[in-house]
Amino acid sequence: MRSDSEPTRWRGRVARGAAIAIGCAVILAFPAVADNPYMLTVGIGILNYAVLATAWNFVGGFTGYISLGHAALSGLGAYGTALLVTCAGLPSFVALFVAAALVTVLAIPIGAAALRVRGASFVIVSIALVLILLLVFQSWASLTGGSRGLVVPRPFPALHRAEHHRVFYFLFAALLAMALVAWWVIDRSRFGLGLKAIREDEDKSAALGIATFAGKLIAFVVSAAFTALGGGLYALWFGDLDPVFQFSVLTGSTVVLMALLGGVRHLFGPLVGAVIVGAGLEYGKLEFGDTPLHLVGTGVLLGGVVMFMPEGVIPALSGVLARWFAPREASIREVTAAVLLDSRREPPPRSASGEGPAEVDR
Amino acid sequence: MTGRADARARGLQTTELTKSFGGVTAVDAATVSFQHGKVNAVIGPNGSGKTTLFNCITGMIRPDAGRVSYRGDDITGKPPHRIARAGIGRSFQLCRVFARMTVLDNLLVAVRAPGLPHQLASAHDRDTIDRARGWLVRMGIDHLEHAEARNLSWGQQKLLELAGVLMAEPDTILLDEPAGGVNPALIGRIGALVQQLNAEGKTFIIVEHNMDMVMSICDHIIVFDRGRPIAEGPPAQIRSDDRVLEAYLGV
Repeated sequence: MRSDSEPTRWRGRVARGAAIAIGCAVILAFPAVADNPYMLTVGIGILNYAVLATAWNFVGGFTGYISLGHAALSGLGAYGTALLVTCAGLPSFVALFVAAALVTVLAIPIGAAALRVRGASFVIVSIALVLILLLVFQSWASLTGGSRGLVVPRPFPALHRAEHHRVFYFLFAALLAMALVAWWVIDRSRFGLGLKAIREDEDKSAALGIATFAGKLIAFVVSAAFTALGGGLYALWFGDLDPVFQFSVLTGSTVVLMALLGGVRHLFGPLVGAVIVGAGLEYGKLEFGDTPLHLVGTGVLLGGVVMFMPEGVIPALSGVLARWFAPREASIREVTAAVLLDSRREPPPRSASGEGPAEVDR
Repeated sequence: MTGRADARARGLQTTELTKSFGGVTAVDAATVSFQHGKVNAVIGPNGSGKTTLFNCITGMIRPDAGRVSYRGDDITGKPPHRIARAGIGRSFQLCRVFARMTVLDNLLVAVRAPGLPHQLASAHDRDTIDRARGWLVRMGIDHLEHAEARNLSWGQQKLLELAGVLMAEPDTILLDEPAGGVNPALIGRIGALVQQLNAEGKTFIIVEHNMDMVMSICDHIIVFDRGRPIAEGPPAQIRSDDRVLEAYLGV
């Protein structure tokens, strides 16, 4: 099209490819650069957050349904994996996938019930889910260990601590890659376009023939599958579960804030958000661990982003880059047939002579 | 056999359709038969139940009683997307477009893609884009293809909404106040489009207060008052109907 010329598009593609290549290189090289196991655990923590935030974004980003209850799904994945190892005696990674499959199936009735309500009501239903599970897992101590915790046997008993971390770092990276690929496939598909239409205007989408309820439910179930895998992998890595941390509304909210901060409309938004908030939280704990200052820092950061980059970091930055490199936004105005004819004969004037997006018809 | 064929030819019908909100009966046992293949209009004072009728027909609201049938099939109370897929498209009274999506994507959303492989295929395949561009050219907004819908003017958004509805390839199109808040030149353009599309076989049912538009483009007019039809007929007949004058002007 005239406003989106071939060279511009190619430049965009090359820039994006380069950014992805650099991102992959940084993630893969990190364990070699990180000079102590502690740094590696920070990296794992961030990747874990990135998996959960990306998984959450299947619902939050595509359909616009803000769930603060995804901790329920990751918690179920974690406890499911742990219990299948300890009680049923399954091998660790078989347990991980069986638990994720069970949570995925369970997500169908949960989603079918929760997705009947929209907006604030959905948020409240999702929070209620976490709180119910928290009570159940705390009270049912004979099975879950309650507040004393549940110890999960290590999958690789022979490995040293540092090696254990290194292996799990790459496992989390692989899971993140899977989630990102799945999100990308949906993002570019017709199904994904339908989900985005639900985000914009659910009734209008239905009037155009989109099966809105089925779409939302499928997005929720896919999201649940990746969330449960993230929770289960955490259980195998960390080796100790406590309901208070697994079924935590606060953790769930942190993950949501990461996605919002990075930008929910973008593939890498949740990942970028997880890196910023995850690193910030860890640094805050390290420097001001005795004080609640790290929470203040997070608050200030989020406040700043909401005020100055409400769309998230990625759109804000790419907006700046686009302004530097290519002023390609077509001016939006009513165009007469004569002007249209002219512009087809000649290359279009870029951002027409300083008059900006004039509005004639308002 | 012939009964079935008749029913298909009859198109959209409502029988004793009723919907109340609290104590207000918005649509009151309305039995309406729209002429298939024609441009129909539903007129009437504000609050006479026209939009509620639309919402009951398209499944946005579940009626309390009565039936809606389309081409012989009962579509009463079906979910909106099923009714849309049966071939009924609609626009909204306050123009609704997908504000944060591009003009092109606003059209691509409406494409039917049955089956998982089609659902997971790229939304931007060349054939579909070409078809979408065809509609944009006809609406005269193809130069805005990559703009976000929220950046369009009101009139352009109205055209975009109509293009989106057409992209879904409905046989019957319900337009809720297509001329509302639109400048006279554009009203003429929308009216001409409706007539062209009707000539190509689309049935229209239009709720509209702009009487010049209604009288000039519609074949069949149904007058609503207090939730039910009080008169129907061709424009010339409606113009001189006493009940219509009373309902509208209170004379």
